[in-house]
Amino acid sequence: MKTKGKVLREGVHRIKESGVFDIRSEALPTWCPGCGYFGIHQGLNNCIQKLGLAHHKVVIVSGIGCAGRSLFFTRTYGLHTVHGRTLPVATGVKTANPELTVFAVGGDGDGLAIGGGHLPHVARRNVNVNYLLFDNSIYGLTKGQPSPSSPVGMKSKASPSGTIDKPLNATLLALTYGASFVARLFAGDPDSICRALIEGVQHPGFSIFHIYTSCVTFDKEFKTWANLKKWVHPLPQDHDPSNLRQAFDRVLDDEFSVGIIYKRTDIDK
Amino acid sequence: MPVVDVTVEVCGMAGDGTIAAGGLINEAMSDGGFSVLAFDSYPAEIRGFGRCVTRSRIGNEEIVALEDKTHVLISLNDEQARSRVPFLSENSMIFFDSNPAVYVREDKSLVSELDPEAILFGMPFNDIATASAGTTRGRNLTALGCFAAICGAPPDLFRAVIIRKFKSKGEKVLQTNLRSFDAGFDYALENFSNRIKSIFLISDKVGGPKKVLLSGNQAIGKAAIDAGLKLYFGYPITPATPIMEYLATHLPALGGRVIQMEDEIASIGAVLGSYYAGTRAMTATSGPGFALMTELITHGVMAEIPAVIINAQRGGPSTGLPTKTEQSDLHAAVFGGPGDSPRIVVAPSNVAECYHYTVKSFQLAEKYQTPVILLADFYLDNRVENLPMPEASESEKSGSNVLPENSLKGSYRRYEITESGISPRALPGMEGFIFSATGLEHTQTGVPDYSPENHMLMTEKRHRKITGALGDLPSPEEFSSGGKLDVGVIGWGSTFGSILEAVTTARNRGLLVGGLKITSIFPFHESVIRAFMNRCSEILIPELNYVGQLANLIGYIHSKDVVRLNRVTGTPFPPSAILEKIEYLVQVGNE
Amino acid sequence: MAQEHCVIIGNGPAANQAALTLRENSSDTRITIVGQEPFPHYRPHLLPEYIAGRLSQDDLCVNPPAFYKECGIKVRLGQRVVHVDFNKRELVLDHKEVISFGGLIIACGGKQRIPEHLQVFDDLMLTLKTPADAAQWIEQLSQVDSVLIVGGDLTSLSLTKALLSLEKRVIFMLNEDSFWPVPLCNELSEKIKHMLTERGVEVIKAGRIKRVTRVSDRSLEVETDNKTLRVGILGAFFGMTPNVKFLARSGLDIERGVLVDEYLQTRFDLVYAAGDCAQVYHPTIKDYWVSIGYQNAINLGKVAGLNLLGGMLSVDASPESIFFIDGIIVNTSWWTEF
Repeated sequence: MKTKGKVLREGVHRIKESGVFDIRSEALPTWCPGCGYFGIHQGLNNCIQKLGLAHHKVVIVSGIGCAGRSLFFTRTYGLHTVHGRTLPVATGVKTANPELTVFAVGGDGDGLAIGGGHLPHVARRNVNVNYLLFDNSIYGLTKGQPSPSSPVGMKSKASPSGTIDKPLNATLLALTYGASFVARLFAGDPDSICRALIEGVQHPGFSIFHIYTSCVTFDKEFKTWANLKKWVHPLPQDHDPSNLRQAFDRVLDDEFSVGIIYKRTDIDK
Repeated sequence: MPVVDVTVEVCGMAGDGTIAAGGLINEAMSDGGFSVLAFDSYPAEIRGFGRCVTRSRIGNEEIVALEDKTHVLISLNDEQARSRVPFLSENSMIFFDSNPAVYVREDKSLVSELDPEAILFGMPFNDIATASAGTTRGRNLTALGCFAAICGAPPDLFRAVIIRKFKSKGEKVLQTNLRSFDAGFDYALENFSNRIKSIFLISDKVGGPKKVLLSGNQAIGKAAIDAGLKLYFGYPITPATPIMEYLATHLPALGGRVIQMEDEIASIGAVLGSYYAGTRAMTATSGPGFALMTELITHGVMAEIPAVIINAQRGGPSTGLPTKTEQSDLHAAVFGGPGDSPRIVVAPSNVAECYHYTVKSFQLAEKYQTPVILLADFYLDNRVENLPMPEASESEKSGSNVLPENSLKGSYRRYEITESGISPRALPGMEGFIFSATGLEHTQTGVPDYSPENHMLMTEKRHRKITGALGDLPSPEEFSSGGKLDVGVIGWGSTFGSILEAVTTARNRGLLVGGLKITSIFPFHESVIRAFMNRCSEILIPELNYVGQLANLIGYIHSKDVVRLNRVTGTPFPPSAILEKIEYLVQVGNE
Repeated sequence: MAQEHCVIIGNGPAANQAALTLRENSSDTRITIVGQEPFPHYRPHLLPEYIAGRLSQDDLCVNPPAFYKECGIKVRLGQRVVHVDFNKRELVLDHKEVISFGGLIIACGGKQRIPEHLQVFDDLMLTLKTPADAAQWIEQLSQVDSVLIVGGDLTSLSLTKALLSLEKRVIFMLNEDSFWPVPLCNELSEKIKHMLTERGVEVIKAGRIKRVTRVSDRSLEVETDNKTLRVGILGAFFGMTPNVKFLARSGLDIERGVLVDEYLQTRFDLVYAAGDCAQVYHPTIKDYWVSIGYQNAINLGKVAGLNLLGGMLSVDASPESIFFIDGIIVNTSWWTEF
């Protein structure tokens, strides 16, 4: 059984070896060892490196929650804003200076609860920001309350008898809101995240990356690594991302298929 | 030159051309060299129903406030005009249609409501209009023609404005209107020749700088454009919506954009995002929307990001009275939002100041890296004054970002504690200055930090920075003959116009009275205010809010309790009420 | 009657007295006075004094406006009644406003009587009934020195006094059949001529005016059948005739004026008439008489007011003081005023 310290040291070592140290800030991430965010973060950093983006021309806008801390661990410009408002702030940044590459980063509470009212509009405006929605179906930073994507029956201090409300499906919402690039990903596969991000950054419009991840500290029942690894599988080979109807069908039938679900090619804005 | 100081109202039902008629009076009188201040009221409903009242005060001296009493009432709909009778002065002049289409019962009649001293000018508007132009559509202009004739206003002033306004609507419309106006004018001259009042003479100020009629909202819009605004993010709310619409008309041609966001939170979020990236942006809202913005405003305070926010105050609390004026958001503007969150709050008192302080807001926001809130109000936003077209100099428009020196590359600390409290601010795209802005308390490098000493230091820094803005903010302006005063009247926003009129009248009556205008609500010039207060036996603070919000802010400075004069009627503060209180205080002071 | 609306048509002495009497005797009746002229209630017999400059316009006014407000009497000035419907009990004003009434007192007074043959010269003659008329006299008198008075009635006599005090040359053409309402028997005629001449008035022989022409803006030429005169102003004073044309189709009994019984009531319930516009039935003489003059007007106004509230006062007029003229019977207690 590895101690937390050992896991951390091993993690740092691995990171240093991967050569992305110049993108990472000196501050070490404050996430719990085993947190899925490490994987996402790695995917994001790799994407920036691989695309050769000048670090000073990248802005990460993040919200409140564990996900929001991402920007402190990356050596780009960052704007850590208030809970749920990542998307409108990112809209402001990108509209003000279109030369910047703008990432918006937030969790499932930030994006689907308090920030739920902003997602439809950034999608319909097709603002060219790249939105990473870290979905661990829980509020980790405030210690374990259910989120809008938590399953029915989830027990927590805030829901001792188990939740009774049905969960939201972020990918389905993104498609419904007319997002022009929708990817669903798994934090356990940073490379796939990097690949998807590269494609999304180059996509001339709003791209959303709905990323399944695990909160190892507070969710021991639902989205554990074991369960996620069991459930998550790639989209079928014949999946056509330009076909919206097919995208809807896939998402309605299958909650855990990952890959680029939908990508609109006829962008006029 | 005899003094001209007349308040004229046109009252009718929606659809009667009331607002157009009032607008024509304003323009004609402005062209004639008079000073004009007009404030209309519109129906609350959107379609077809409801009373329209235009109210214009016209004079040959500068007008700074509205009077409570009306001298001339032009009724385009008698049933609606009845509601205006309580506001008529003695011997007011009433213009009305003496041959309405249907008989009117006594309880619906305008004339039955009037005092016997009212001077009646009943003329058959409908008949005159129909006879001259074949239609009653120009009857509002017929009524104007009657008014112009009786009051001795030169008809060509009106004709020129009619031509200007209606030329684009086609020859037929123009001719209908001109004929309707002329017919009314001629009829009045012929039938009331012995009652021509000659209130209006040509002002001796014709030939001065050309004046335009602007509302507060238009002034704010123009100021933003002149200041180089490129992005407006907003959400419709009365009475700020016209600002968005003005900019939507004018900004695109200048390469800018107006983006209607999904709510006020998104609006201020986008403004902050824009400024973070180094581009000037603005949003305008009213009380309820402002309340939504306060969280992000304090984010701007903590993360030291500029923003320009116009709060066009209206009746509150909550949804309140959307079409009524009030000054009850001072507390929210200065203190709204969590924590010790000092920010700059400025309040213009007339249309010209709406322009100049909006321009200035952008520079203040950038230099002091803070949200700047401009407090307007419904009355100021919607009232129209005539003034020379406002312009801004290059130095007033220029950018004020405090950027880091190249020497700081690699060792840049975004939130460096400096003497002024202002830390040079890098913009994304600048190489070598990467940092993260955050709403968490942070170290000088922007890393989240909650330690005791750090929080004290950073809080002090932010406060010192804002206090340092006093040098760039307009100092309180005094209106008195100096020296000891029995009563000093302090005020802000649109109420200051009423205060100025009351103080001027009191001074003309020989009272030792003075006025002090506060434009910089926060930070405020405590020593200047103290110096003024020390010379006054009593301090009177009239405000359009219930508790006295400015009084709460600065009242402590005076050595004894300030006298508060509050009203929340939803209507502008009448100078007569302030004058009455001044005289009362002087009298009590003498006893 | 208490809560109903009592309307008084007219704003002269009879009308005002009626209003005051109503208010004195009933505190909650709604009372409205509707006056055709835009002036507050004034003393018409003082107009010559006003012309003479001995009184200001304010002195003409009987009560300040606040007085009526305090009494709760609504005064409507410059508004003319054009029709009365006694079935619906409504009256209509000239600007098409309809007013319902419970009780009505018609006290609209009289207007200048201009004999038919002189009506064609209407715009060249001045009369004197209202302050507006007086203002015209004042304006023109400032430009001219001579006045020709034709006809001769009560007003003309007091005006003559005023003109003399202004040192104007006054020529008086005393017509026997036009010194109305007093029958101009020789004795009376001589008395008046003598009185006028003593005061410096040129009394000329009565005659018929054949032509009047304006010679300049300060001078008129008047041609009678026996001489031609140049004067500054031509004043026509042929007495008053009731001003009741607007009631012609209303259903009221009208001869020259509104016919009322000795209680001043018309044929309609709660509708009375008083003052110069009324013709009052005298039960002893068994005929109608017209009252002239300030005191009579006040008296009749008071009676009408009381009777409208339920009183049964008959007008006090002894038969001896009633003259007979032109088929019109006149109460002349005014005679002593002059």
